[in-house]
Amino acid sequence: MADIVQPRPVLPPASGALTVRLRRLGEVTVQTLRNPVTVIGLVIIVLMFAMALLAPALTTPNEPNPYQMPRDWTALNEPPGTPGHPLGTTAHGGDVLYGVIWGSRTSLWLSIIVVAATVTIGTIVGSLAGFIGGKIDEILMRVVDVFLAIPELIFALAIAAVLGPSFSNIILALAIVYWVKYARIIRGQIIHVKQNEYVDSARVIGDTKFRIYLKDVLPNSITPVMVQATMDMGAIVLVGATLSFIGLSEAGLAEWGVLVSEGQVGISTGRWWASTFPGLMIFLWALAFNLVGDGLRDVLDPRTESR
Amino acid sequence: MTSLRAQSLEHEESVGDRPVMTLLDVEKHFPIKDGVLQKVVGHVKAVDGVSLEIRRGETLGLVGESGCGKTTLGRCISGITAPTGGGIYFRLSDADRAALEDILAVPGKERTPEQRKRMEQIDSRHLITALTGDAWRAYRRNCQVVFQDAFSSLNPRQLVKDIVGRPLRIHKEASGAELTERVVSLLESVGMGRQHLFRYPHQFSGGQRQRISIARALALDPEFIVLDEPTSALDVSVQAQILNLLHELQRDRGLTYLFISHDLGVVRLMSDRIAVMYLGQVVEQGTATELFERPRHPYTEALLAANPDLDADVDKEIEGLEGTVPDPANPPEGCRFHTRCPVATPICGWEVDDAVTWLSVETNLLDTMTAVERRSNFDATLAFADDGSAEAVGKAMTGGSMPSAMSPALENVSVDGGKVLLRFLPVEPVELEEVEPGHVTSCVLHTSRRREL
Amino acid sequence: MTSTAAAGISAEGATGALVASVQNLSIHFKTKAGMVHAVDDVSFDIRDGETLGLVGETGCGKSVTARSFMRLVASPPGVYAGGKIDFWSSEARAAGGGPVNLLTIADDEMLEIRGNRIAMIFQDPGKALNPALTIGNQLAEVFYQHRSDELLEPLGPNAPVIIRRAAKQESGKIERVLLKLPPLRSKAAKVREEVDDHVAAALAETQIPNPRKIMDRYPHELSGGMKQRVLIAQALACNPDLLIADEPTTALDVTIQAKILKLIGELQQRRRTSVLYISHDLSLVREISDRVAVMYAGRIAEIGRTDDVFRQPLHPYTRSLMAAVPSSRNKRGELAAIEGNVPELIDPEPSCRFHTRCPYAAGVCGEVDPRFLRHDFEHGVACHIYDEPAELGIRPDELPSYERKTR
Repeated sequence: MADIVQPRPVLPPASGALTVRLRRLGEVTVQTLRNPVTVIGLVIIVLMFAMALLAPALTTPNEPNPYQMPRDWTALNEPPGTPGHPLGTTAHGGDVLYGVIWGSRTSLWLSIIVVAATVTIGTIVGSLAGFIGGKIDEILMRVVDVFLAIPELIFALAIAAVLGPSFSNIILALAIVYWVKYARIIRGQIIHVKQNEYVDSARVIGDTKFRIYLKDVLPNSITPVMVQATMDMGAIVLVGATLSFIGLSEAGLAEWGVLVSEGQVGISTGRWWASTFPGLMIFLWALAFNLVGDGLRDVLDPRTESR
Repeated sequence: MTSLRAQSLEHEESVGDRPVMTLLDVEKHFPIKDGVLQKVVGHVKAVDGVSLEIRRGETLGLVGESGCGKTTLGRCISGITAPTGGGIYFRLSDADRAALEDILAVPGKERTPEQRKRMEQIDSRHLITALTGDAWRAYRRNCQVVFQDAFSSLNPRQLVKDIVGRPLRIHKEASGAELTERVVSLLESVGMGRQHLFRYPHQFSGGQRQRISIARALALDPEFIVLDEPTSALDVSVQAQILNLLHELQRDRGLTYLFISHDLGVVRLMSDRIAVMYLGQVVEQGTATELFERPRHPYTEALLAANPDLDADVDKEIEGLEGTVPDPANPPEGCRFHTRCPVATPICGWEVDDAVTWLSVETNLLDTMTAVERRSNFDATLAFADDGSAEAVGKAMTGGSMPSAMSPALENVSVDGGKVLLRFLPVEPVELEEVEPGHVTSCVLHTSRRREL
Repeated sequence: MTSTAAAGISAEGATGALVASVQNLSIHFKTKAGMVHAVDDVSFDIRDGETLGLVGETGCGKSVTARSFMRLVASPPGVYAGGKIDFWSSEARAAGGGPVNLLTIADDEMLEIRGNRIAMIFQDPGKALNPALTIGNQLAEVFYQHRSDELLEPLGPNAPVIIRRAAKQESGKIERVLLKLPPLRSKAAKVREEVDDHVAAALAETQIPNPRKIMDRYPHELSGGMKQRVLIAQALACNPDLLIADEPTTALDVTIQAKILKLIGELQQRRRTSVLYISHDLSLVREISDRVAVMYAGRIAEIGRTDDVFRQPLHPYTRSLMAAVPSSRNKRGELAAIEGNVPELIDPEPSCRFHTRCPYAAGVCGEVDPRFLRHDFEHGVACHIYDEPAELGIRPDELPSYERKTR
């Protein structure tokens, strides 16, 4: 209803640019936290991050490579509750709790590196296509179309299989495949934002195209990318776990997917703990980022943002 | 502040009273692409041959309805898009203009090397699409824009201080505390203040946002500002404030304005001279008083008649126009307004399309038409499913029911089996002609071509 | 001077029966900052066959008022805060019956009225037409909804039930399959033909060239003016008693606007429809209204016959507004601008809402809501100058005389 005079926010006298920007950030944060579901997600994420950071303190790091599950032939397939192994042990005698904790580290690595890489590649490609347009747009979008013709999971699987089973190859495979959606998202946003007159204004003032991109176009296009990136932090771990489950990762790695894979052998004989606890972690991680992503999207929606 | 302008004058030939902007035959055509291979099948002729002059210190009003090309023309003049034909010149002296027009009258291949050199020289100093270095900077600083929608013309993520200070920063005119002070003084000159520096655009009303826009436009102390419907989105009371402000600024700073608007009342108030546009061309131009009191083009008259005026005579009723604006990709022949003109004459450019339109609207004789074979816009063959239909059409066209302006233009109609051949008298496009000092129009009723009637 | 509600003003000495009467209507909106009093104690009448112009700037509440007639105000955040809208349909008037209160009648009664007895056209014709339906199908809906009986007439009194239901668009899935079978198909086709005839007639009335061809087109193929004609045809299809037009020509060029306005005027005259015309454009309202109500900040500032209001505006806001419209007599830079801004309407204190910007404001203006008074025959105003001139130190006849030519 354009007819109603919307009450304008009552402001204390503004003092400086930094103060105002911080205040704005504060407002966004407060609004995000208003949603209880989002808070739950955030709490889970904070706990996971803490777990990942404090892994060396919470457990005794395995020698020589703490990311490898420790093997203890004396404690094979112990059920949860066994002294020294609250969550039980795996078929190789590895402490499930150790796997859960160090798995959060590997998951953190995985999601951060892949999301950073895909966002960067996707933003660059999408920006070139959207901002420059013309032939470059057509060529790049054809490339995107080719990528999209292949189902993401299969594609990643194929690349990882070709490169050979290893954790870093999984990271690489995911980075190669999953940037495409970002390119599309940001291209669409840029094309839309470009139509605003403040972009024309900047040109009339005499600003260079690159600076216009940085100051006017990118900041106003990036929001959906941020929301998607948050969701992907969760989703990537799921996909990575899938690839690990199939066996494209390293055996014995302290990674949730690998643990689920190695532990599922025991389920038929009643040894549920080696798969279930890491599986639960994957679920929680993905869920948490989804919740936060959703909450973030609601807050950053342009309709609510301008108020 | 005048020192900046003096600097940019260094590169000019002579200082004197000259036009700020000169437009010669400017065209802006947008390609229409179709098909898988995106072939160009036609062009939307948004601006199709406009020649204008904007003189120092004046306000030229540019008025017309949607689709007339005024906004596109504004964008070409301010350098946002480049014209696809013709030229836009900045600070072109009368002498240079005369020389240029002589050279342009000669077809490209036949120009002497001397002429070519002279043209290059003029272009490099004045043609806005060819400027580089200091000359370009001089143009860029001296030509600014204020848009209609203040909300989309201010970056929502930037503070007012950054928005208004940006031109100064880009051209390295000030920084730090000095920049802030300059921004404050700009804000004050548009009726705002220091307290507004650290706010975001969405925290202001429409009128205030427009003021911020104006402050930004003034930052580099420009000579010329393009105002593209600056008050159309504002309430009447706010509009009054902004219009008063614009006048005050013009008076205090010696500004030149191009005032684009569809609102006749506003344009009349704010302009010294006015150009009326229709379908990509200027149809009439003159002083504000002249145009409103003694219009010399039926379209201008139609605009005036349709405009509800608070001060109009008691008995005046508003009148509208029939029909719709023709397709800019295929503008009418002769005078483009003839398809809707209440006083059209036989020499106004009647063509095959007009006959077809008339038949399809007033009759249903075209229901059985199968094809139209054009030899030109004036000459075509209509094919029908049966001989009877063709005959009926032939009868209709010669029977006297055709509009009285159209039938004299019909040179020949003949029926041949299932085909109707029709041919109109070909007509040249109309040209603007000065009918009184400073008053030009392209309507044949007022120009020398009325002798042909 | 008598103190009567604005409704009383128009009822006295009026010509024509009442079609609608808004009485003390208040609609508020719940926002984070508080209750916004978008419409506050608004009263006016609409009589048979007249055009009432409701004019005001952004945020004055005119659109909300109009939408309340059809219960189109979203609630939440809209909150009904008082008053009523009485409506007399032509049947009710013929039978000598009483009005219904549009705000309180049952939903199914409202459905009967909407599109049928009261119709509305909006500002942006592009957004009001379903892009996926042809014009013919779009308009057919109105007839199916409200005039299904007429559609069944050619089939005689014994039309099968299944066809009856089809005409009301109440067919179930099975029925729709059955309708495709030969015995019923021809009957259904007859109904369809009837509808098409009605639609073509409705379109022809709005001077759309070649209505049959237009019926097969989609909205995007039509110009803005044509779309608005289609919408007018749709609105008038059922011969409503009241047409509410919410800025219908703002999105159109001025030459097309003139045609549309004339069309509305003609149709109105022919059918004796009453029109409530909402606009922010004073000059436009003057052209087409018999009476005009000026709204400011949720309240009616002034109401009266168009001639009277424009020749002798009483309320300082009306005067300021008229002075702010550019005219041939203004000098550049000297437009009478109204300083200040529209006040925030959150939980407002009792006062005249215009007092912060009024050149004549005095103490009482900031403390007491002005009463609506009848200043002259049919001309009413809510301003302390006319109520307690002594307090303000200025008498009504001392206000600078206002010159604008009128009818």
